Amino acid sequence: MGGSMNLQRWLRAVMGTLALLAIVFSATGIVVREGTAVLVTRFGHPLRATTSPGLHWKLPWPIDQAVLLDMRRRVYETGQTEMLTRDKKNVIARTFVVWRIGDPLTFTQAVGAQSAAEGKLDGLLTNAAIGTLGGHDLSALVSTNPEDLQVDQIESELLASTAPMALKNYGVTVEQVRVERLALPEDNVTAVFEQMRAERRQFAAKFQAEGDLAASRIRSEAELAAARIRAKGAEEQARIRGEGAAQVAKTYADAHRLDPELYRFTRSLESLDKLVTGNTALILRTDAEPFSLLQNKERR
Amino acid sequence: MRRQRAPSEIGKLIAPLYKLIDGAWQRMHWWVATMAVLYLLSGITIVRADEVAVVLRWGRLVGDTPALQEHGAGLLFAFPRPIDQVVRVQTKRVREVVISTLAPDASATEPASEEEEEENAPQQSGATLDPLTQGYAITGDHNIVQLSMVARYRVRDAGEWSFYGPTAENVLRAEVTAAMVRSLGEMGVDRVLSDGRKELIALAARRAQIGLDASHSGLELSSVELTALSPPLALASDFSAVQSAFISAETKKKEAQEFAERDVPAASAQADAAVQDARASVAADLANATGEAEAFKALEREYRANTAVVRERLYRDAIERAISTSNVRWVPPPVGGSYHGLRITLGAPGSKVSPSEPGGDRP
Repeated sequence: MGGSMNLQRWLRAVMGTLALLAIVFSATGIVVREGTAVLVTRFGHPLRATTSPGLHWKLPWPIDQAVLLDMRRRVYETGQTEMLTRDKKNVIARTFVVWRIGDPLTFTQAVGAQSAAEGKLDGLLTNAAIGTLGGHDLSALVSTNPEDLQVDQIESELLASTAPMALKNYGVTVEQVRVERLALPEDNVTAVFEQMRAERRQFAAKFQAEGDLAASRIRSEAELAAARIRAKGAEEQARIRGEGAAQVAKTYADAHRLDPELYRFTRSLESLDKLVTGNTALILRTDAEPFSLLQNKERR
Repeated sequence: MRRQRAPSEIGKLIAPLYKLIDGAWQRMHWWVATMAVLYLLSGITIVRADEVAVVLRWGRLVGDTPALQEHGAGLLFAFPRPIDQVVRVQTKRVREVVISTLAPDASATEPASEEEEEENAPQQSGATLDPLTQGYAITGDHNIVQLSMVARYRVRDAGEWSFYGPTAENVLRAEVTAAMVRSLGEMGVDRVLSDGRKELIALAARRAQIGLDASHSGLELSSVELTALSPPLALASDFSAVQSAFISAETKKKEAQEFAERDVPAASAQADAAVQDARASVAADLANATGEAEAFKALEREYRANTAVVRERLYRDAIERAISTSNVRWVPPPVGGSYHGLRITLGAPGSKVSPSEPGGDRP
């Protein structure tokens, strides 16, 4: 019975101690998480800023107070601002920044809240963009010639002209400034549309002309090739006919050479056959052969 | 023997509280013990298959490198809060963000009033574009295109993403848009709209990933997909006309090629036919000549043997053929050796002449 009472007392003591420690810890301990910072104030005066994660201590309220700050990076997209490039072209640009709280004390004193920080960054960036883009031609941002493009340089200049001021004045670390969007004023867009239309018409005409030219060339080449083939065929045909005629002539000549007089005689008779047709009128004397046979018995 | 001191004022004040706690302890000590055990076990966490977990001990990440910080699927033993805090992150799941900052309907605006609608009329008709409400990008040759994108990503570094990186959707939208605007600004519109599309996507994705790394987002861009890429609506017909011209030109070329493929073989066929025709003709002529030569040789042999008879027969055969074929007018022999005033009437060519009467035409 006495042992049980002792155990209970011991347990009560342990529990009471733990409860007391918990109360003390909650009043004095500060667990600074990764990605956060804590600003400790003493009677309202900033005492120190703790940015390293881990367990830290402070005096209990109301002496010390801990203000938790989110140190994560944030993205802020500025408004679209119309500006003039060095070559006097109007362009509308929008940038974005990646920023975080760099100096918790300055940030808390000068800005206080995220939305306020972004408002201040907007002004800084707009000024920087107007100044920076005014020193570059539009071709530094958009060009098909790689030598003209200077986007990295422009973004570095924007970062250089905003980051130190943002850190010093607002406790904000600007890590990146990027050109997010480029646009043209509405009037310029109309002109660009006209230019694009003209360019399209030019392309259409070019395609038509190229098509006509290529088709004509293909047809001409085909016609030339066909003519060459036909000519070669005709040449071959003539050669064959010539050789044939020579062979025929030789055949006839070989035969007729046996008796040229007979050849002339038979050839004359053939000519007679060919020349005397149904349209030929022959006028013969009745005393000529063969009709003369009817009149002259002695010749029979 | 110790002398018992009289209860102090504070002791008197907390005595009721002490009695209350003592009473509660008497009734609830098992519950308290159970809760204490449960609290001690509350740090044990189940990490699912698509997750990794990181542990914060007194707020500080446990482990120096991402490999040591991240714990894979399974049971994770950690101390209870506030000592340890376990953060689970879905690193294997691929998420997507629709990016329409460069699309025709870039800004989701409230329903427009009548005045605003009147102001927006020229833009809706396509005469121009309002950069505040309509997204677009300028190409390297100063043309305008509009596009919509989908970016797919996953968490690569759970520690950075959880504690240091910006909000995933915000940073993705900004980085991918900036990378795409910059990449479009280096390429001509025709390349972008035709064969340069893959190169554009690859270039923009690479740049966006560099930006995501620089902003310690802890994200990995899986892909960037262009769901739409076209010139502004107002110029659609002009771009279509170019396409039509291109197709028309290609058609003409194909027709010419078809003509060439038909005409050249036809010429070859004609040439071959002419050559074959000549060969056939020569063969026929040669055969004919050979035959006639042989016939002549045979005749010559006979002629040599019986010259007068053969010659007479040939002559008479020829005369007979001539007389039988032609129109013959017979006239009597002249009186006194010559004709005086002899008149012969011949019919039209081809007409058969009736046998004439000898001397009938003589006056």
